[in-house]
Parts: sequence; structure tokens; C-alpha cells
Amino acid sequence: MYTAGIDIGSITTKAAVINENGIIGTKIILTGYNPSEAGRRVLDELLREYSLRSADLAAVVATGYGRNSADFGGKTLTEIICHGAGAHYLNPDVRSVVDVGGQDSKALVIDDRGKTKDFAMNDKCAAGTGRFLEVMARALEVDLDEFGPLSLRSSKPSRISSICTVFAESEVISLIAKGELREDIIAGIHESVAARVATLAHRAGVGPPLMMTGGVARNVGVVKALEKKLEIPVEVSPRAQVNGAIGAAVLAMEEASRK
Amino acid sequence: MNELDHFLEAADQPERYGAGIKAGGTPVLGYLCSYAPEEIIHAAGVHPLRLFGTLESTIQADSHLQAYCCSLARGVLESALDGTLAFLDGAVFPHTCDTIQRLSDIWRLNTHFDFFADVVHPVRLDSGFAREYLEDILQRFKCELEAWSGSKIDDAALARSIETFNAARKRLDDLYLMRSRDPDCISGSRVSSIVKASMILNRDELPGRLSRLLEEIKAGSYRTGGTDDKKRLLVAGSLCDHPDFYSMVENSGGVVVWDDLCTGSRAFDGFIDPTGDHLKAIARRYFERRPCPSKHLSNTARGEALAAMAEKHKVQGILFFLLKFCDPHAFDYPYLKEYLEAKNIPVTLIEVEDSLPPEGQLATRLETFIYTL
Repeated sequence: MYTAGIDIGSITTKAAVINENGIIGTKIILTGYNPSEAGRRVLDELLREYSLRSADLAAVVATGYGRNSADFGGKTLTEIICHGAGAHYLNPDVRSVVDVGGQDSKALVIDDRGKTKDFAMNDKCAAGTGRFLEVMARALEVDLDEFGPLSLRSSKPSRISSICTVFAESEVISLIAKGELREDIIAGIHESVAARVATLAHRAGVGPPLMMTGGVARNVGVVKALEKKLEIPVEVSPRAQVNGAIGAAVLAMEEASRK
Repeated sequence: MNELDHFLEAADQPERYGAGIKAGGTPVLGYLCSYAPEEIIHAAGVHPLRLFGTLESTIQADSHLQAYCCSLARGVLESALDGTLAFLDGAVFPHTCDTIQRLSDIWRLNTHFDFFADVVHPVRLDSGFAREYLEDILQRFKCELEAWSGSKIDDAALARSIETFNAARKRLDDLYLMRSRDPDCISGSRVSSIVKASMILNRDELPGRLSRLLEEIKAGSYRTGGTDDKKRLLVAGSLCDHPDFYSMVENSGGVVVWDDLCTGSRAFDGFIDPTGDHLKAIARRYFERRPCPSKHLSNTARGEALAAMAEKHKVQGILFFLLKFCDPHAFDYPYLKEYLEAKNIPVTLIEVEDSLPPEGQLATRLETFIYTL
């Protein structure tokens, strides 16, 4: 039996297909202007890659901010619930999850079955999210993928005190003008994101074993900065960015098995 | 026009309704929170009109207020400065939170209404002198109103007001009880508009209007359907002037069956003894009704009250709906969360300003919380 999860995020849309034996495949595309179209396309492309048809899917769960943008033929569940289920699927020992995505960051505590027990979510501001990092990458003219490795070279992270993304950007521009090293500025940016996320994590009451998920988990600099702030190890799966889609597919599997 | 429409219209345009009352020859006093002694205002032949702030941008008010003031203070001052409240004869500021107390000075110095009064309530409701003090404060307020209006507020007028307010409060309680028993009888957003309108509408007509409305509800005129499998929730906080919030909760799998809001059940909680000394009786109600967090009854009074409400109304979770920068509520939240969770009552926090958070984010919070119940 196959099931699928579609995670329509603010920047990227992800799909995952699983069966009883494990993950069949995952795919990531840019969401663009039309979230429902992105949701359909990512699933179609993924199914095609594995020579599957939509009729082969016993259930589909949609998640992410665009989850209600179209009818994907199944349930919709929030990305918080799906990240909990996904993290539990990837490592059943995990009890806390920090998900930092494009426009939201969330911290959640899960039980031994991956069900969300408590959570906290950032307010409407983009501080401590992927969008914050994107803005800073543009200001620094550095590819976002370089952010992590570059920051690890820093010995003296710059201090970014503004929480607001726009103010922080002007702060970064001032630091550039002052001649601070790029890697130090980037390390400072990571510390700033980590501080915002750590606040959320404390509010939700997270503890070890903790997994970080979402696109920003690909950034080793943020992960290290978060470990320092929380003083606990932060586990990252190579599938961090598609974790929400995996969780959605897992919950679709539970749904289908109940029928 | 059915009875419900009168309520919805008033809730939608309180200023228009207030201006209409004033045009009809009755003076109108605005008031800030549920600790304003409406009965005394009404007994003076004056219409008490609750002020709710504004959903429009605040432009002028920001030059008078610090950034940490809530959107209610900001909105109320804005409406006064931009002329929206020009029909008012004045305003009554009960001292509950510090922001309202400071706002009263800013209002007094920057607006030009005819009447102004501070009603400085006691903070500690558990002190022996507090009742005596409040009686004195109410007496003083009555004298201020008399001096302004030029006529005495006699016992008979106070007795009639007390009866009117008791009757309206009893009917609002009946409405809540009816909906707690049968959440399908009318939607949550309509209930929230009805309670709001009860602080706007002509109070002499209010008990009659509410009775007819209750009959319409009983007759099934406003049945909604579809709440059977929804999780029963309680909303707690200061004010919620967002009827859409209740529909969003319903779309997210929950249904609000009771509240502990200043624009909800706290406004109609408690009964005033119509016999004996009227001012003493009005004062007594403030000690007996459920307190807001700016008052102190005991260290656990609010937690106990919320837990009791949750049990009575079979509530599965509590949504704290707090205005950003509302410090009495914000300071209470961590203890209440701990206290209620220890009693196995899950809670979550939603912070709002004048407008609701973006729909997507709010829906994610609500759906996640309701899913975990």
C-alpha cells in the first residue's frame, strides 16, 4: 500500500511517497505563485519518477501553509502535526522537534507515538525563519548554501541585535561597511536566528532527544548555533527539508490502515 | 427585522448606534471595561456605551502612547482624537490595569468632552477595607454624575437600574447556558456579537430584546448544525472583538462553548441584590463576580475559576486569547498554563493586536491545538 504526503510551504513544496516498508521517494520544487498547482505538480512528478499512478495511492495528506489551497483528495493536517509524525518516523526516540521553514518556525514536544503534545510558533514576524536568512544572503551576496560552511570559519561572530528582519538587514549593511568579515557577519546572523528559535523552543518546553527539521536545518551554522543556545545536541536528518511531507505520508498511512 | 439583527447591527456599528441615542436627546458616556458601574450611569438617565477601540489604523494616538500600550487603549484614544466619538458627552475610566489608568490622564488632557471620571477600584479584593473603600468611590462617582447632570440620582432610579441590569445579565447567562448545552443552537460569532451589543444597546429595552432573542433561538431560527464532533473549548482573556475568530475555531474542529472574557461572561457574571443599600449592593457584585487579572482575590482564584468553568461546561481545552501588551493577562498566563495543565486541562496562547494574526498562521495554531486534544 502506497500513501503520499504533500507539504506546500511558503518557499518550497515537497512530496513524499511511502509504503509499509519505508520511503519510496521524495521531491522538492519551488512553490511559486500558485500553491495548489505546485502541490499537484510535485506529486505528479514524484509518482512519474517511480512509475506510480495516483490510483496506486491509498491516501494522501496535504500539509503546509498551502494545504487548503486545493482538494488533494484527502485530509489536511497542520505542518506542526506532520513534522512531529515525520521526526518520529525517522527516529522513534525523538521527543522534541524544532522546525524552521520559510516563513514560520515552530517548536514542538511529541509523545512516544509522534503525536504533538505541546507547541509554540513564531509570531507574524519573519525573524528566526528561512526568509530572514534569504534576505541576509542577498545583502551579503553569498549563496545561501554557502552560509553554513562559511560561518564555521568564524572565530568572532558579529553581534546582530535587531529582531526585525528589515532592521537587521540594515545592521548587516552597516557591518559590511565597517569591514567586518563576511564569515563573522554570517555567524552573527545564525546566532540571531538560533536565539529566536531557542526562545520558541523554551516556550514549548523542548528537551532531548531533539531533531531539527525544515529547510533551515540544512544550514549547519544555524544547527551549531542552536546547539550552543539550547545546550543540547540537535539531530538533523538528511531528509530534514522533506520531513513534513514524510510525516504527512505517515499520517496518510495511519488513516488508510484504519479504513 | 428580527431581534438578532438589532444586536448584530449595534455590534457592527457601536458609534453609529451611540450617536443615534445622543441625537434622541439622551446623554452618552463611553466606558472602558466591565468594572465601570453602568448601573449608576444608567440611573442618572445617561446611556453607558462600552468603547471597543478601532480596527482602523491608529495615526494620532501613537504620538501620545508608548509602544507597549495595547491596541484597545490605542484604538479608543484614536477614535476620540479623530472625531469618531465626537457624539460622546464624556467617558468613565475604571482603574483596572495601569494602561487604562494612564490613558485616562492622556484622554483628559487631549480631548474636550464635557464629563470625565476615574473610578479607582481596589486592587486587593481580599482586604477588609476594600469594600468600604469601593462604596466610598461609588458614592463619589454618583456625586460627580449628579453635579454634572444637575439632578439627583434617587434610590428609586438606582433600584430600577439594578433590576434592569440584573434582568439583562440573567438572560445573557441563559443564552450562554443554552449554547453550552446545545452549541448548534446559534453560532459562536453571533453569541459574541450579542454580548457585545448588550454593552451598546438601550439598556431599558435590553431585557425585553434578549427575551425575544432567546425565544427565536429556542424556536430554532439560528440553528447551525455540525458541531457534534467538534472539541468543546473555552476562550479566556480580556476582550475579543473578532466574531470571525469563533468561525475560525469552528472551521478548525472546535467550538467555543463558554468564555472568561471582559467582553463575555465576566461582563454579566454576578447578581446585584436589589434590596437594601444600592451602592453597597453594586460594590458587592464586584467582589463576587469572577475577577479579571488586574484584581487580586487569592493566588489561585483565577485558576480555580477557570478549572471550575471547564469542568461545568465539559471543556476539552482553553484558548487564551490575549491582546498583545496586556500585561495583567500576560503575567497571569504562565502560572495559569501550569495550573490548568496540572489539572489535565490543555491550554494554548493566541496573541492578537487590533486585527487577528494572518489567517494561515492562526489556523495552523488552532488546528494543531484542537488536533492534540
